[in-house]
Amino acid sequence: MKSEVVRYYILFRNYEHGMALHELLDAHSIENRIAPAPRAIQGELSCGVSLVLPESAIDAARACIAEHQAEYYDIVPLAGQMVSKRDKYC
Amino acid sequence: MSDYVKMWKDLGMDLEAHDNLCQVLPTAVGDVFLTQENRPKAMDFWDMVISEVHGIRPAELIEAQKEGRKVFGTFCVYVPDEVVVAANGIVTGLCGGSQFWVPDGEAVLPKNTCPLVKASVGARLGKTCPFFRIADMYVGETTCDGKKKAYEILGEDVPMYVMDVPQMKCEKDILKWKEEIKEFAAKVEEFTGNKITPEKLADAIKLINEKRKAMQRVYDARKSKCLPISGRDALLMTQISFFDDPARCAQMCNKLADELEQRIKDGVSVVPEGTKRILVTGTPLAVPNWKLHNIIETSGAAVVCEEMCTGTRYFENLVDESKTTLDEQYMALSERYMKTNCACFTPNTGRIDDILRLAKEYQVDGVIDCSLKFCCLYDTEKYSVSRALKEAGIPVLSLETDYEDSDAEQLRTRIGAFVEMLNEK
Repeated sequence: MKSEVVRYYILFRNYEHGMALHELLDAHSIENRIAPAPRAIQGELSCGVSLVLPESAIDAARACIAEHQAEYYDIVPLAGQMVSKRDKYC
Repeated sequence: MSDYVKMWKDLGMDLEAHDNLCQVLPTAVGDVFLTQENRPKAMDFWDMVISEVHGIRPAELIEAQKEGRKVFGTFCVYVPDEVVVAANGIVTGLCGGSQFWVPDGEAVLPKNTCPLVKASVGARLGKTCPFFRIADMYVGETTCDGKKKAYEILGEDVPMYVMDVPQMKCEKDILKWKEEIKEFAAKVEEFTGNKITPEKLADAIKLINEKRKAMQRVYDARKSKCLPISGRDALLMTQISFFDDPARCAQMCNKLADELEQRIKDGVSVVPEGTKRILVTGTPLAVPNWKLHNIIETSGAAVVCEEMCTGTRYFENLVDESKTTLDEQYMALSERYMKTNCACFTPNTGRIDDILRLAKEYQVDGVIDCSLKFCCLYDTEKYSVSRALKEAGIPVLSLETDYEDSDAEQLRTRIGAFVEMLNEK
């Protein structure tokens, strides 16, 4: 059975924190994309913005966050979130 | 912390039902947008907006209401935004592009109503769309029978104003639409308490024209053989433009256009050379309806233009900015809006002219004419659209779909075969 790709979602208390970290990671050439936070990992947060990173970028992202004391709420790994031909729309 | 839950609760939304929508949207966004490679950097803005589609903009609208501004929810590209803006009002689109809202619509509408109408009514009655909860007034129009009857139901709930769109395009119809705009302006003045002056209307006309020009720039970039943006991303930009502040919309579209133009200069394309270029025409694709574009673009083709209300019909043609009296300005608005070729008109040969022109401008290899189920008007026009395209030697595929996922496999088969046929030509 094919294993599903694991990606890391960085969650935030508000979208301003999310966009600030996005700019920071971009400035350090650390691969990341803005994405709506999967509901399953949002918890009590009502902020929709998250940053999604491949596994290969997460250590660099953690180091960058620590170095710049960037605001975030949590980092959560999740498998199988993006499938181009899943055909499950809203 | 942005407490959207409190905001939604204060708006009287059904939080439990709304949470079900919050569960499916991230998956669809991930599948449709984040599986793409090499997207323009400027799409960051729209990624942020769609991530918080029921958060950021609704919160802005509520703040504006606290300052005394009125919010007008609209359903159609025929409603002149300029009039609302001139009275310091705000125009917003309304929810209507998801199967999620359809069952609540079917509770009061016949099942054989188009999904866009059912979803719109369902989003209001089900209390799962903040925009429907926020709008102080809905502005409808007589562009189809389903909507006309739906407005009667919505009007029981919230102030509803319906504009009577002519059914033909003779000189008398353009004059009639001018009078409709004038009457609408009087209603907007009464509702907002703000007088519309020629100066304010001139500023509003300029503002909305700037938004149109910016969107046109993005579309112009899609005419290049070196395709700098996917159809899915361009569609998202257009869908969100119905909800955004017009000045910010213009600014962000211009920023995107700058990047796309640079990409063309640098030879950066989102698809391999030779990928077949598709023009999509038909009924609107309201957010978050991405099914058709996603299937086309994961079947080896690229969507390069939408001849739709969520496409060229929304921004093509500018309003004449040289008029200085309200009477002249209302006429200029009428002349611009009456150039929009909706299937509610008879005859509607202008739409066929548009499709043929756009097919040439965007260098398309084929056209997909797709209508939502139970949209009699666009479904019927498929005959004349198909005939004209065949006469012009442009391959065309006619489809019908709705918001359900159940026909996705069938669509994949038909679209896949169409693209294969184009590749063999």
